[in-house]
Amino acid sequence: MVQRRTLPALVLLVLGAGALAACSGATDDEGATPTAAAAAPVDLRMTVWTANEDHLALFDEIAAEYVAENPDTVSSVTFEAVPFEDYTTTLTTQLAGGNTPDLAWIFESNAPEFVQSGALADLKPTLVNAEGYEFDDILPTALDLWSADDGLYAYPFSNSPFVMFVNTDRIAASGQPSPAELVGSDGWTFDAARDIAKASTDQLGGAGLIVRDFNYSLWENLATVWGGWGASPWSEDGTQCNFTEPEMVEAMTWIHEATFTDGAIPGPGTNADFFAGDVTMTITQISRASSLDGTFNWDVVPLPAGPAGQQNVIGQAGIGVFQNGANPEIAADFLAYFTSPENAEKLATYFPPPRQSLLNTETLVSANPLLSEAQLESVVIGGITDATTKPSHANFAQLQTTVRGELDALWNEGADIEAVLAEVCAAAEPLLQD
Amino acid sequence: MKSDRTVAHDLPVPEKGPAPGPRPASAAPRRRGRIRPWILVAVMALLAVPFLFPTWWMATSSMKTTSEILRVPPSIWPDAPSLEPYTQVFALQPFAQQYWNSLYIAVIVTAGTIFVASLAGYAFARIQFPGANFLFVVVLVGLLIPTEVTIVPLFRMVNSLGLIDTHWPLVVIPILGAPSVLATFIMRQFFLGLPGELEEAGRMDGLTRWGIFWRIAFPLARPAIAAVAIFTFLKSWNMYLEPIVFLSSRDKFTLPQALTQYVDAYGGPIWNVQLAATTLTVIPVLVVFVIAQRHFIQGLAQTGLKG
Amino acid sequence: MTVLATSPRADRRQRRSAWRRRDAATGLLFVSPAVLGSLAFVIAPLVAVVWFSLHEWNVLAATFTFEGAGNYERMLADTSLHAALVASGWFSLGLVVLNISLALVLAVLLNQRLPGTTFFRVAFFSPVVVSIVAWTIVWGFLLQVDGGINSALAAVGIEGPNWLRGNVTAMVAVVVVQLFKNVGLNMILFLSALQSVPEEIQEAATLDGAGPWRRFWSITIPMISPTLLLVSILTVVGSLETFALIDVLTQGGPSNSTTVLVYYLYRQAFEFNEFGYASAIAVLLFTIVLALTLLQWQTRKRWVFHEV
Repeated sequence: MVQRRTLPALVLLVLGAGALAACSGATDDEGATPTAAAAAPVDLRMTVWTANEDHLALFDEIAAEYVAENPDTVSSVTFEAVPFEDYTTTLTTQLAGGNTPDLAWIFESNAPEFVQSGALADLKPTLVNAEGYEFDDILPTALDLWSADDGLYAYPFSNSPFVMFVNTDRIAASGQPSPAELVGSDGWTFDAARDIAKASTDQLGGAGLIVRDFNYSLWENLATVWGGWGASPWSEDGTQCNFTEPEMVEAMTWIHEATFTDGAIPGPGTNADFFAGDVTMTITQISRASSLDGTFNWDVVPLPAGPAGQQNVIGQAGIGVFQNGANPEIAADFLAYFTSPENAEKLATYFPPPRQSLLNTETLVSANPLLSEAQLESVVIGGITDATTKPSHANFAQLQTTVRGELDALWNEGADIEAVLAEVCAAAEPLLQD
Repeated sequence: MKSDRTVAHDLPVPEKGPAPGPRPASAAPRRRGRIRPWILVAVMALLAVPFLFPTWWMATSSMKTTSEILRVPPSIWPDAPSLEPYTQVFALQPFAQQYWNSLYIAVIVTAGTIFVASLAGYAFARIQFPGANFLFVVVLVGLLIPTEVTIVPLFRMVNSLGLIDTHWPLVVIPILGAPSVLATFIMRQFFLGLPGELEEAGRMDGLTRWGIFWRIAFPLARPAIAAVAIFTFLKSWNMYLEPIVFLSSRDKFTLPQALTQYVDAYGGPIWNVQLAATTLTVIPVLVVFVIAQRHFIQGLAQTGLKG
Repeated sequence: MTVLATSPRADRRQRRSAWRRRDAATGLLFVSPAVLGSLAFVIAPLVAVVWFSLHEWNVLAATFTFEGAGNYERMLADTSLHAALVASGWFSLGLVVLNISLALVLAVLLNQRLPGTTFFRVAFFSPVVVSIVAWTIVWGFLLQVDGGINSALAAVGIEGPNWLRGNVTAMVAVVVVQLFKNVGLNMILFLSALQSVPEEIQEAATLDGAGPWRRFWSITIPMISPTLLLVSILTVVGSLETFALIDVLTQGGPSNSTTVLVYYLYRQAFEFNEFGYASAIAVLLFTIVLALTLLQWQTRKRWVFHEV
């Protein structure tokens, strides 16, 4: 089909096209060279994963004030709402395409990867020196994940504790003890929760206990359960696999039995939503309270205790500044403003801050109008202090996918738990050592 | 590259047909007389269920509450049909704007593709020029490239031109790039089947090549153009990855992208509103298809794809 | 070129060759948008991708180091990639075979001019215009272990499996969902082709004593074989590019059983930030698509029948 003499023409063509491609370059473009003394006011861009009108309105309000105070350096701040599900993909595409945003929200599980990559700028100098910032007000434990070598590479602006929502109508209808009472009498354990879940499902149908967002694929959300056994997926330094440790084996066995033997936890392939009304209890972040629509009575209690005690877990989201962005210094300055004590209080309406001065019921009552003071005290404030975060690792993306693939074998009736966990470690080890 | 035109000879029975697979009862072994028509209709009705039920479920679920949607087993008709989700569709997003975006982009892409593809298809089919075969291969390569493969270099190119978050890449790339290659192929196939005498006549009358194309060949190509128009429109209408990559402002989004935005603050879809938006996306296109399908099928039949 | 014409015939020849040259220029002009577009938006990115594949490119760390054939060596040892190739093989095979068969069957049925044909034609085509995301979400609901599909099966006494949680059943589910989405398009192409099969030939064969089956294989199929070729090529290529469906329905699971090649590519690029390696996989994908297409094209002489 292609005649012989056209072959050299083809080669020339490819070379020509290659020149064209090379011109668009493969290394990162510098959109605008960062000017030390900004000649003209710049437009800052922050990627966020919320499309909620109220959230965005609040951000715009804070940004407008900043622009008013700094008209020479900043002309506007744009909050680019990227769909939650595609957030990582879109951010990655932007980076690959040389379209680096100035600031970006970062999931906590990706924190180590971002922090260690060198892509983020060290915020500590800017934050510590910002006027009225009160850096010491910030909970030190909250910063752990985002710090490296004495520097802080992203600011954890949202710290949302995981709690247990309870459908009290279903509890009453099935004659089960109320979790709130059990909390008071020190009887609120995972075993108790399982029993209540099972009994209510047997009597009323629906589902018992759901670990929301786990859905048999995002296994890192099980951290809210295995925390009660003192288990962890890997060691602190991230090099040893802990899936085969006794604590994790026991925790997984408990989960497996609760699912396949007791039916307290719905099995894979089912769709049930606590907020739709026919689930007895669910573990999820406190901020989901806004999904409650008043069709049933509910309560919120802390996470139950496991054999190793009670462990609070929080989900964090950080904001970082990209070094390769067009205006890292100005962006860092804006971040300091965005998370100052005054603005943190405004943001606390939706995003619990890591500031000790704000972790009190007065501030939080406006943030979570559905919760009572007692609930706020025990669940939110108690939940943030001494809490661990969900698993994270420099190589998290690969680990998540790999472990998920191996754990799939666990979610069957006759699974050999120890054998599956051994496979998990075998597959995960090379990635942990990286 | 003229197609092979062989004289009709003995029809061979192919040893291995290109369409193996289980033969259903309707094409059952010969029996005297035909299979009763109503059996065939019944078979078709049964086959139609997996095609129709999902669309039905989508449309009816858009009027249910979320808990009813999640209910098991699924309900065929909503308990208390409500059009509330439909108002939410427009309240939560600039949906009307997004609808318009998808529409006008699809129209421009369709018109542009028809123009480019018919020009190129005509030239490849009926004009002798050096390197024709080679250039045709160059164009055909586009048929083989999945979007995921080239999206990153394309993004860099568009970014360096400062055209991110505009509709330009969504219009220019489909018209000139990979998506229009099928259209060129179809047009070429059609023009190959045109009798040469018509063009001879045109040349005698003193028409330039452009004149022959514009006055004679193009008007005759209506069936092929109809087929190309529908293919191209659908492809542009359903474009998903490209808008996600190139667009970031909500009022610039196109429909498939907009559908993914009906989520609560944590990324959990608001099912009934999302399904309502989806239904709004699908119904108009279906209606147009119902009206136009006769032309579409006849158009394809006359494109000469058969030979 | 300015040779004086010496005879009427030479004069005509000269004008003809001048016309031909102008015509050739016009031809080049006509194809230039398509060709230049192909160069800019297809060939150039492809070359760029090959260039990227020779590097290790971590987007986050902004490192771009030359590796030469490093990524390709890595592909040889990557068992996940091999698994993805196998998964792609099963998926494409299943989809192509079922798609072409079903499309042919439906087209034949619709060609019988039975009552309700128009309705069924629209019905079978309707999924093509539904957005893939919506289609997949709906099927996701229906494939739940206690969802619509298993309810229907239970009504006839069959206990349906947990479709999306078994390695084999998930693959079956993915093939079936994609099948029903797109088969309408191929059906329409076949229908058009069937309607242009001249009645006379069928009648002549019937007179000669050929039954419906024989007529189908010996006349209909060869007469529509060019369309079969086109459909076959398009379906094979399309099957290797199926992405959105898998992303929404199974995310490549369970146990990576539905991670086909293009999904693996996406994962490497956008989840693992390994753009260099992903580019190498893209080159592999393109090579496979090209090879399969050429294979079908070159063997067409054996079974595709052209008529005057």
